[in-house]
Amino acid sequence: MPSAPTKLYADDVSLLVVLLDTNPFFWSTSSLPFSKFLSHVLSFLNSILLLNQINQIVVIATGCNSCDYIYDSSLSTNPGIENGKLPALCSELLKKLEDFVTRDEQLNKQQSQSLPPTTTSSLLSGSLSMALCYIQRVFRSGPLHPHPRILCVQGSSDGPEQYVAIMNSIFSAQRSMVPIDSCYIGSNNSAFLQQASYITGGVYQKPQQLDGLFQYLSTVFATDLHSRTFLQLPKSVGVDFRASCFCHKKTIDMGFICSVCLSIFCKHHKKCSTCGSVFGQAQSDVASASNLKRKTPET
Amino acid sequence: MPEVKIIAKNFMDMVASLPAMKLDKLYDNAFICEAILRSLPPLAKKYVLQMLYIDSPITAKSIEVWVLPDGYSKHRVAIDRLIQLRVFTETVDRRKETTYKINPTFQTNLQKLLTHGEVLPREPMPSNITVRLPSVEDLDVYAIGQWECFLLQLISSSSAQAERPSNISSSMMKVFQRGLLSQRDKEAPRLTESGFQFLLMDINAQLWYIIREYISNSEERGVDPADLISFLLELSFHVTGEAYNSNTLTEVQRNTIKDLADLGLVKLQQGRKESWFIPTKLATNLSVSLTDSASRKQGFVVVETNFRLYAYSTSKLHCEILRLFSRVEYQLPNLIVGAITKESLYNAFENGITADQIISFLQQNAHPRVAERIPTVPENVTDQIRLWESDLNRVEMTPAHYYDEFPSREIFEAACDHAREWNGLLWEDSKRMRLVVKAEIHIHMREHLRGQKQ
Repeated sequence: MPSAPTKLYADDVSLLVVLLDTNPFFWSTSSLPFSKFLSHVLSFLNSILLLNQINQIVVIATGCNSCDYIYDSSLSTNPGIENGKLPALCSELLKKLEDFVTRDEQLNKQQSQSLPPTTTSSLLSGSLSMALCYIQRVFRSGPLHPHPRILCVQGSSDGPEQYVAIMNSIFSAQRSMVPIDSCYIGSNNSAFLQQASYITGGVYQKPQQLDGLFQYLSTVFATDLHSRTFLQLPKSVGVDFRASCFCHKKTIDMGFICSVCLSIFCKHHKKCSTCGSVFGQAQSDVASASNLKRKTPET
Repeated sequence: MPEVKIIAKNFMDMVASLPAMKLDKLYDNAFICEAILRSLPPLAKKYVLQMLYIDSPITAKSIEVWVLPDGYSKHRVAIDRLIQLRVFTETVDRRKETTYKINPTFQTNLQKLLTHGEVLPREPMPSNITVRLPSVEDLDVYAIGQWECFLLQLISSSSAQAERPSNISSSMMKVFQRGLLSQRDKEAPRLTESGFQFLLMDINAQLWYIIREYISNSEERGVDPADLISFLLELSFHVTGEAYNSNTLTEVQRNTIKDLADLGLVKLQQGRKESWFIPTKLATNLSVSLTDSASRKQGFVVVETNFRLYAYSTSKLHCEILRLFSRVEYQLPNLIVGAITKESLYNAFENGITADQIISFLQQNAHPRVAERIPTVPENVTDQIRLWESDLNRVEMTPAHYYDEFPSREIFEAACDHAREWNGLLWEDSKRMRLVVKAEIHIHMREHLRGQKQ
């Protein structure tokens, strides 16, 4: 893994990777209509591009079953008015978004034929990994590149089954010094995003008034990494550190941990399903209780 | 970019120094608002964005809350800049509370940009009319060629030497040369100190120096500087390599664009019926170099530890620049070989070039092969250049006053102490009661001694 980048542009040049939640299960129940949400986000994207001529934006849509790049400002060659009405950013982004949503829906149908629909969460782990891959490519592209950061605009609730993948992405983001900001617009706090922002040094915020989403975005999340060192930004009040067990993908606050590979289980197993270590017979109830580690939400 | 005295004033300072009325008028143009916004310090940009949708004035206190204690100086810089550019207006009400309000024209223009996204100042011409558009590489070559031709003409003593005559009038040329060349009667003009420094600057800084002179001279030509500034900024938002119809320009702009073509900022082409202009990299970089530009061009110089200097360049201008501080030994079609010698450097120092300027020139123009090495220029060479420079400055001159024949030792001691208090004692000889103080504290010394006599 390459070490942290050394040669960068001027302080406030940023590469912002935005992960948009397009999960229909969430948007059908949300108080903020998707169209309004998009107009807030589009203005926000415009404002990032406006701040610096070399700022770069990548938008990744996080669907229910898939995720995909829907906009990359370095690839769109001609800014300006297309079709006489909408500027390039809007038209290109909206078109790709529409394609993406229909594709995602088809995937959902295909899956639901074979399996009963089990999950209503978005594929956050997938889009996080895509964002990190993109950033790694930028790191390796040449000596000069902007400061990267990731912004998750997420609404749907966490999918505990993605726990391992998401934690892995978070740690790799931490290692390549990429902060993950999260703007959570769902009803409850998201433990995954709280942890992501906490570990990578990003900002986690849950806007109180969704009508003013743009103001939240521009006040908090438009701040470049350079300015963050001397600006007052929202501090996390509490982080939900609970983990998911590897065997049933349930969020637990107490469980068993493999002493070799640190996998988490909700029940006592004879053999670790991840690394294959054979655990000794649970000698007594006292011994197994000592293996049972408690992890409570910090408040 | 090296800190060079002659560009102490950057372009945005120039905009800020415009009279308030003209500045407000400038903000009618959305491109100017965008360029101004981009030129602001990061914190100031942030403030503008945050206050973009707030119509009522905001108290200074509530803005200060946004900043952490150790960022206060940056906060001051940002606010001062915003007020200077009249983006924020400051009002102090009766209760002595300072409030800031964002300039309404600026605000609406930026709001529009946010909702509609970036737009182009002009529609490019369709490609079926403009058949022979140059490629991006050709355009770059053209721009650099044009610029170097201009520079050569600028520094050459007589304009007759120029290979390609340009239509920049000789009076215009004189304006540019003012400050860079000095002419004593009948002698050939010589480059001045700032002229040498100018040659060592990078191309964006040079461009700005010239553009600044061009703008400040515009009033004499009957052109409003504000119009010129807005046109130049607008030009920087065009797309490189696209053709734009000259019909869309006003009369003044059409004249300006001819001058700009000579500088290599645009390429003019004539079609069967219509004529068009193609902005080059230099023009679109204008708004980038408004701020500290990070654009770096490919270097060509390799310096070796034996003080030899190899420059892979075909440019006559580069040769001239290297000649400023090194002895050019021979020239091959694509290579200039020189040596940095004591004599050549003394020559440079005499012309007012400093060691730091030479070193930063060598570092900035380092060939890609050596640019990755640390240090890019061998340390023994940079050290020696600095040593030779300090050799010349072995004696430091300080204007001073000499006092002697003190009536008593007490008075002498008191005088010494007094001089020390003012931090101006240069030398004392307590045996013979003599001392030397800096000239600027002479008045205080005299007063002190008079007080002692009474």
